[in-house]
Amino acid sequence: MAKVLMKGNEAIGEAAIRAGCIHFFGYPITPQSEVPEYLARRLPEVGGQYVQAESEVAASNMIYGAAGVGMRVLTTSSSPGISLMAEGISYIAASELPVVLVNIMRAGPGLGGILPAQGDYFQATRGTGHGDFQLLVLAPASVQEAVNLVILAFELAEKYLNPVMVIGDGMIGQMMEPVEFPVEGVGPPLDPGDWALTGCEGRERRIVNSLFLDPEACNRHNLKLKAKYERMAENEQRWELYNCDEPYDLLVTAFGMMSRICKTAIDDLKAEGTNVGLFRPISLNPFPYEPCRRVIDRAQRILDVEMSMGQMIYDIQLAAQGRLEIDFHGTAGGVVPSPDEVADKIRESLARIGRSPARKPGKRSAKAAAAQKSKSKRSKKTATAQKPGKRGGKKPQNAGKRSAARQSSARRHGRRSGR
Amino acid sequence: MRVLHTDPIVASSKGKAHLPEGCRLLMVVGSYGSGKTEISVNLAIQMSEAGRRVQLADLDIVNPYFRSRSARKLMESHGIRVVIPPGAQSYADLPIIVPEIRGMLGPGAGQLSLFDVGGDAVGARLLSSFREPLGDRPYELWQVVNSRRPFTRDEEGCLRMMADIEQASRLRVTGFVANSHLVGETTPEVVCEGARLASRLAERTGVPLRLVCAMGDLEGRQRLAGLDAPMLWMARRMLPPWLRPARSAESRDEPIPAGRPVPIGRPAGAK
Repeated sequence: MAKVLMKGNEAIGEAAIRAGCIHFFGYPITPQSEVPEYLARRLPEVGGQYVQAESEVAASNMIYGAAGVGMRVLTTSSSPGISLMAEGISYIAASELPVVLVNIMRAGPGLGGILPAQGDYFQATRGTGHGDFQLLVLAPASVQEAVNLVILAFELAEKYLNPVMVIGDGMIGQMMEPVEFPVEGVGPPLDPGDWALTGCEGRERRIVNSLFLDPEACNRHNLKLKAKYERMAENEQRWELYNCDEPYDLLVTAFGMMSRICKTAIDDLKAEGTNVGLFRPISLNPFPYEPCRRVIDRAQRILDVEMSMGQMIYDIQLAAQGRLEIDFHGTAGGVVPSPDEVADKIRESLARIGRSPARKPGKRSAKAAAAQKSKSKRSKKTATAQKPGKRGGKKPQNAGKRSAARQSSARRHGRRSGR
Repeated sequence: MRVLHTDPIVASSKGKAHLPEGCRLLMVVGSYGSGKTEISVNLAIQMSEAGRRVQLADLDIVNPYFRSRSARKLMESHGIRVVIPPGAQSYADLPIIVPEIRGMLGPGAGQLSLFDVGGDAVGARLLSSFREPLGDRPYELWQVVNSRRPFTRDEEGCLRMMADIEQASRLRVTGFVANSHLVGETTPEVVCEGARLASRLAERTGVPLRLVCAMGDLEGRQRLAGLDAPMLWMARRMLPPWLRPARSAESRDEPIPAGRPVPIGRPAGAK
């Protein structure tokens, strides 16, 4: 199929249709309004229903109801709207229903602003609503990845009977990129399994419920959910390593669009002869702690970069287990760090471990410009999105080789290795 | 047929694009992602360089990001007057029309008012408030067409968009601009596909094809040399935060294909 140019929000809407979701309940809010706008136009064409709810509170309860009767269903919103949906999402998780949520994050707290931010990391991974429940959270870094992850989100929601959230900053929703849809047409409807309310004539009745007055029953229910979250943690970690094949002293950690800005900075530094690795979690929950620890072990310092005041950094700390110092650079309010700004922060971090040529960013060399030109090609080569059990291309580095590389790198910089 | 290009506004060494004679007010409309902003900003800069006094109004009240106001500093450095809502309001997605815009409807001699309008009919609706103040003053309203956007892939989609825009704006489309693109993945074939679509639209409606747009650093752009259309070679001005500006087309060693310099006031195919 020919590639089309789509805004992230439109592509998210189309991806849901391709996944077989033809029911949408939601409420417009910048910067995600193009999802409802697109689906309001498209869903009637494919025999689906688009309902603009009177509020996000209502929308979350509408998807609760629709999922309860076995409909594949989507809602999307942006930060303050997700807060309003929190109660419904907790009910859905408690009732073990498959729904897909999309949060196109804007600046906060409060009404904040309409520009891009990543300040809902905590909300998505720690406390979307009340009670002991977890969302499976996926964070794309391009419009194409948003398409792929929305389709995957429906699969995972149905596999675990759990709400799955796809989370991106406003840029993911607003930017235009060429996309290809992996499937044509409208996907098949959801299999109502043994849980959906489809009319109980001739079978035992089913109950969709989140109320457990008996403490023992409620405890048992929570233990059952806990076991499910453990299964998710075991099977659903996803991440990307960038530029981690060669030895590096500094590891940059970033997710979503911020990781793309970091990649540009890393490419620029590579052209100057400085190698810096990047770890990008794709599943924010379950967070890929072990894969993160493995790349942390090969670094001497970490720089965490976020469009927030520091939220994912707590997961990086958990992965680092106090072994390394972590520097942080963050912006909020819709201020997006530039590649130069990130490169400066990388130089500062390298200087702290005595590694930096601490070059002031001057005019970019012809070499750096050439590197930029071929960046898209190279990123395809070096970037490897990974899942547990699919680690084909990645072998643990030989320790001897590594130390030799370190020594030579230390010689280059005229310093002793800090280890 | 009389050639309508006595007012060569885009007259850089390589440029071939001309505005129709006497054109002082140009409004750029089209679907989201058709490339209105990139075209508006490039036209503004090229025309300013050719000696016109250009004022550009960012009338995008639909899109919250990636609007021409983000290229404000760049345009102002080229001597272009940029009209946007003041202060923090410029970051809002609110229908704010600053009073100066009314004044831009009747530009003086040697001036050009460029309106970068929001996407789809929703964005074009704003123009309907200019219908009365505009009176019978001449204007150009160009519809940008990108055949790689979901709702304007074919003639029917583009004509529907045209009808919706005309109804919402209470103005008539006076020209088509072919701008088929896939951002960084654009090929000369994609550009040609758009040029063909826009030519067919011109034939069906009698509204002329005004421009075919492509990036000056498009790989394999020599393959566009045979395109019988007025070309607007652009530099990428609307960059996302993770990309850096590429070298401008002029700084390249290879020459830009000359093609046939067709004045843009002339309908495609007219002899």
